[in-house]
Amino acid sequence: MTLLSVENLRVTFDTETGPVQAVRGVSFSLGRERLGIVGESGSGKTMTGRSVLRLIRPPGRIEADAMVFDGQDLMRLPEPQMRALRGRRIAMVMQDPKFSLNPVMKVGAQLTEGLRQRDRMSAKEARTKALAALEAVQIRDPERVMEAWPHELSGGMGQRVMIAMMLIPEPDLLIADEPTSALDVTVQAEVLSILDNLVKTRGMGLIFISHDLRLVSRFCDRVLVMYKGRVVEELAARDLMQARHPYTQGLLNCLPRIGGPRTPLPALDRSAAWAKE
Amino acid sequence: MIEIDNLSVTFQASGRVVRAVENVSLSVAEQESFGLVGESGSGKSTILRAICGLAPISGGSIKIDGKPVTPQTKAFARQVQMVFQDPYASLHPRHTIDSVLSEPLAIHGIKNTDTRIEQALTDVGLPPAFRFRFPHQLSGGQRQRVAIARALMLEPRILLLDEPTSALDASVQAETLNLLTRLRETRGLTFLMVSHDLAVIDHMCDRILVMQHGKAVETLTREALAAAEMTTDYARALFTASADRMLA
Repeated sequence: MTLLSVENLRVTFDTETGPVQAVRGVSFSLGRERLGIVGESGSGKTMTGRSVLRLIRPPGRIEADAMVFDGQDLMRLPEPQMRALRGRRIAMVMQDPKFSLNPVMKVGAQLTEGLRQRDRMSAKEARTKALAALEAVQIRDPERVMEAWPHELSGGMGQRVMIAMMLIPEPDLLIADEPTSALDVTVQAEVLSILDNLVKTRGMGLIFISHDLRLVSRFCDRVLVMYKGRVVEELAARDLMQARHPYTQGLLNCLPRIGGPRTPLPALDRSAAWAKE
Repeated sequence: MIEIDNLSVTFQASGRVVRAVENVSLSVAEQESFGLVGESGSGKSTILRAICGLAPISGGSIKIDGKPVTPQTKAFARQVQMVFQDPYASLHPRHTIDSVLSEPLAIHGIKNTDTRIEQALTDVGLPPAFRFRFPHQLSGGQRQRVAIARALMLEPRILLLDEPTSALDASVQAETLNLLTRLRETRGLTFLMVSHDLAVIDHMCDRILVMQHGKAVETLTREALAAAEMTTDYARALFTASADRMLA
């Protein structure tokens, strides 16, 4: 069953020196599964994720032939209905807890804000729900974290707080933008198993944006490889190590390996025909 | 060249005592590349910061060439320099690359600034035209190159590298690691490098020290790592968790 389908998505920024296309004709569809989007910085993977929520500010523009979520065309939906979808049905975990949490608001207040405003919940009820959400992301001392300011949290804790916040309304689709890049291998595994559990038990759809090819090949079902705003290759995650496209192969080859030779690591070849327009 | 003996670092904040490093000893030979690995909070970065006098040492000693270190002196700055993890945070946002690179020269009264800065930029593979740009006009990889150039301005013999590539893409990481390797070979530098990525450490370092909760767990040579000859459970767990980074 298709949860989200995107056809020919384009994101354009009008600048003084002319339009810059950050995403150029991306199409994909997503069921209740884990879809990975990989690519280097500037490849348009974050912009693709944000477009689904229409979270691109002017001078950026979103164009698409179709962007349908659960039967609703996101391109035509008026802003009030779009607001109703954001958070409740489609949620996004942003990349950097340092910049995405409100620095002058305690964690507890940020976690309960949505519940109080949107769901008109009592303070007590909201607090109980927020504590449960923090426990669900393996935060050991949720009472203390509720009273903490964002700057008092480590990167890993901050990232887990953001995941907890997004999971409280139980969305159908979660867009996670580098949700584990600030985390250690061990904590990373915990966070991934939380996400995995939600996909399996609640049938949530997940778009997992990352630059870590190894992680994506282990964790996702399907992978889109992006370069310069285009999808250059789409393949099953388990086949990622046998990728055909020279760009994907190049990305894999430039990773150092334990026991590998001490020769210089191969640099990515951007001169080939595929890298041009 | 670097000798650390029974080093302990203790932070005290609002009544809480955090023992970030406990009785760690290690020694790095001249022109060796030594790696520190472990999870965040294991104290690996704190050791680098302690060498530079940026962390409160509560016990033990740090010696370079047999003499106790004198951080925050000019002589120390000419010998040891550090490259930080996040090039977005470690370069002053309102200083041009030119002022970042010329400051150490001015402090140390070194002449012919112009040629030295142009040479430094060329050495790290940046066009000389970048000299009058601001950090926000550079990509992450280019900024890390500037940070490396800054560290090399005083021609130190030791570079302390704190996760120098963890904020970078795979392709940019490869370029930066190649650059560091080339600089070490041409200038005969000694590296003390911190990373949580075993594959990066393996590619760059001759010996590694595995750390956990501020304590030294095990020292491994590169060969022992590749052959999985670790003796402690923690080092093995770390190795197993990095199984996808093995040579296929």
